[in-house]
Amino acid sequence: MRNPLSAKPLSVEPQSVKPVATGNRTVRIVVLVLVAVVLLLAPLNLPPFANQTLVRIGVYAVAVLGLNIVMGYTGQVNLGQIFFVGLGAYVTAYGVKQGWNILLVFVLACLIAGVVGLLVALAAARLGGLAIAMVTIALPIVGVPLAKRLEGFTGGSQGISARFTDAPDWSGLYNDQWQYYIILLVTAAGFLLARNLVRGKYGRAFGVVKENEAVAASMGVSPYRTKVLAFTVASIFGGASGFLYLAAVQYTSPETLSFGHSISLLAAMVIGGAGSIAGSLIGGAYYVLVPLLTNAVDPGLTTVSQGAILLIVLFLLPEGLVSLPRVLRRITGRNRDRPGAPQRTVPAPAPGAGSEKQADQHQTEHQAIPDQTDQQQTIQHQTGRQDQA
Amino acid sequence: MRKNTRPRGVLGIVAVAAVIALSASGCTRGGTNQGGGSNAASPGITDSSITLGITTPLSGAIAGQGTCTVAGVTAYFGALNAAGGVKFGDGKTRTVNIKSYDDGYDPQKSLANFQQMVSDNVFAATAGLGTPTNRAFREAAISQKVPQVLVMTGDPLFSDRKQSPWQLGFVPIYQNEGAAFGKLIAGSGQPHKVAILSQNDDYGKGYVQGFKDAIKGASNVSVVGEQTYEATDTSVDAQLTQLASSGADVFFDAMSITPLAIASLQKAQQLGWKPSWFLPSNTSSPAAILGPGGAAAYPGIYSVSFAKAPQSPAFAKDPDVVKFLADLKQYAKYPDMPAFPHCMWSYMVGATLEQAFKTMTEPTRDSFMTALRNVKGLQAPLMLSGTSVDTTTDGQPAVSSVLVQKYDGKGYATVQNFG
Repeated sequence: MRNPLSAKPLSVEPQSVKPVATGNRTVRIVVLVLVAVVLLLAPLNLPPFANQTLVRIGVYAVAVLGLNIVMGYTGQVNLGQIFFVGLGAYVTAYGVKQGWNILLVFVLACLIAGVVGLLVALAAARLGGLAIAMVTIALPIVGVPLAKRLEGFTGGSQGISARFTDAPDWSGLYNDQWQYYIILLVTAAGFLLARNLVRGKYGRAFGVVKENEAVAASMGVSPYRTKVLAFTVASIFGGASGFLYLAAVQYTSPETLSFGHSISLLAAMVIGGAGSIAGSLIGGAYYVLVPLLTNAVDPGLTTVSQGAILLIVLFLLPEGLVSLPRVLRRITGRNRDRPGAPQRTVPAPAPGAGSEKQADQHQTEHQAIPDQTDQQQTIQHQTGRQDQA
Repeated sequence: MRKNTRPRGVLGIVAVAAVIALSASGCTRGGTNQGGGSNAASPGITDSSITLGITTPLSGAIAGQGTCTVAGVTAYFGALNAAGGVKFGDGKTRTVNIKSYDDGYDPQKSLANFQQMVSDNVFAATAGLGTPTNRAFREAAISQKVPQVLVMTGDPLFSDRKQSPWQLGFVPIYQNEGAAFGKLIAGSGQPHKVAILSQNDDYGKGYVQGFKDAIKGASNVSVVGEQTYEATDTSVDAQLTQLASSGADVFFDAMSITPLAIASLQKAQQLGWKPSWFLPSNTSSPAAILGPGGAAAYPGIYSVSFAKAPQSPAFAKDPDVVKFLADLKQYAKYPDMPAFPHCMWSYMVGATLEQAFKTMTEPTRDSFMTALRNVKGLQAPLMLSGTSVDTTTDGQPAVSSVLVQKYDGKGYATVQNFG
């Protein structure tokens, strides 16, 4: 956030905005510290089932985050994310079985998924639009029989278990708490890295490629390279998610990478909020919590109730659950402003409006681009965005 | 063990402080922990009730079979509860509650469901369908000492006591079925040439292994052709053509995919190859597979079973079948004729559990496992005569005896001899 935002107040109204910025900064640090303390202490107080659920949310939040980078931010349809999750899980299981150092296993899980993603992307990113989607569909479809056949590595259709997340004695922790801390560490690091990525120059490149490849090329941003990068990063996150999957579930089988889960991940990303870091976390929570919820309602009707929840969320919040505060603010704002200024309800902030700092970063992202471009491209960019909306 | 290692060092102090702080909300770990003393009752069992959990696919491609695994147990205990409950070995009469959870055949979800069962205070997990979904929480069940018993998977791992001390499979393992057919052919005394087509995974390999072990040393049986296919293949025409040219008179088809089984029954006829067939129990449905496949053209279609088929006219008036169908309708909200044998199997799971409940002397999981591993010669309702529940043999599931049956144009009838 520092990059685009700290640049902005300096260029636009530096005197009036700066004190507000430092005030916000302190508040933000306090909130961050508070959140960190809560996250660190939570597992010690929560019942095991809550910890186990949080652990699984972390697993899928990382997978959704990767998907968000390639789809939400870069606009490339990827229906094969679960393949990379499964690949990461298998690499982890194999590495643990071989007795390799766990850090090495983690690096390998990310690396191998990343390399496979890179190879696929090198070919797939040359194709436009739906053709990429077709290539990515092929991944889990090829992956399942491959996992069944490569019995030496994968344990065949019976799957493979590997335990490496039992709490060591010196920690004095329960297994679920230990798992929680492992997953918190990886997930937090992943989210921090992703946040910096999408807010830096690559994030802006992703955004331009998503909006208009011709504009990107004219700005000197190679759409092809950008897509390959986004795809590779998504695969690395997929691999990391696979590592976490094994840390949490301790078992993987060809069922893990079945195509249906890829669609569920996609749904979770859209429900959470495409093109949003916080939305990825919400997406992960959605992926894990909704089956629990629908099970509690009626285990015989899970598919129906999950479909109903999906439809309701998409009708009420087409930009995902992450837009809920904004929509609420708009509704309450409209009520407050009704006698006075109705034009306040238009959500789109003017480019360079420094006071919109607290708006979610999805918008910030869009704001960041005009700063970098000349007048003409700004206009084109905005037109594209209105079309999108 | 877990409990003792817990409060240690600073973290322990923090944890204890936090637990005290939260104790008012009832959110403490102690509430969900396992009972401390050896005489204390395990979670999920009180003086008046016991709670069992089933995680099984209730949505997705095999929701039909999964729904049956819940329906059978629910029907069985529904009838017993209505009659007052089950008299346990410790002298108390308890009602049996069933909690079901949908895992959609997703291992990750079945583990989540298991964790929820632990948090819901479920005494034991039972009757769930699926190899990967049961494997996903097998180790968690072992480490938390929660029984995961009478599950519906042919995976032998669940019946290996050393590796799976808190598990027990219910249905025959794949090897049992293959062996039953192999024994029948070996005992026929006639020379037979056998062609084998099997799915290239543990399922197909299990069948073939059981079959080959059974014909080992039988000089009258020779395997003249062997082919495999992948579970994801859409056609096995090439393999069938090759096997047809081997001139085999018996075809052992270890297949788990319904459309492929129908297609191969049709294809062999087109090729003019008419051997006797063996089909596994889950791809031998007269209505769904043999009819559409035109099975009447073959000299014999053999399969194995241990349950009475309610659809079969021979059992229409059987008292077991009549009571079973009535229980399903009344207690399990399953008014139709069961489409899958899993309904019958899980009804038998109910009977096996009842037997274990009757003999367990303490309201603990340990006592339950001991009792469950001591069921012998139980003729559960719906079992064909000649089969029985026997949980006493290491390496074997609760039901390991199957009968070979021959298709008679409508249903199946048990046969003693091949031909």
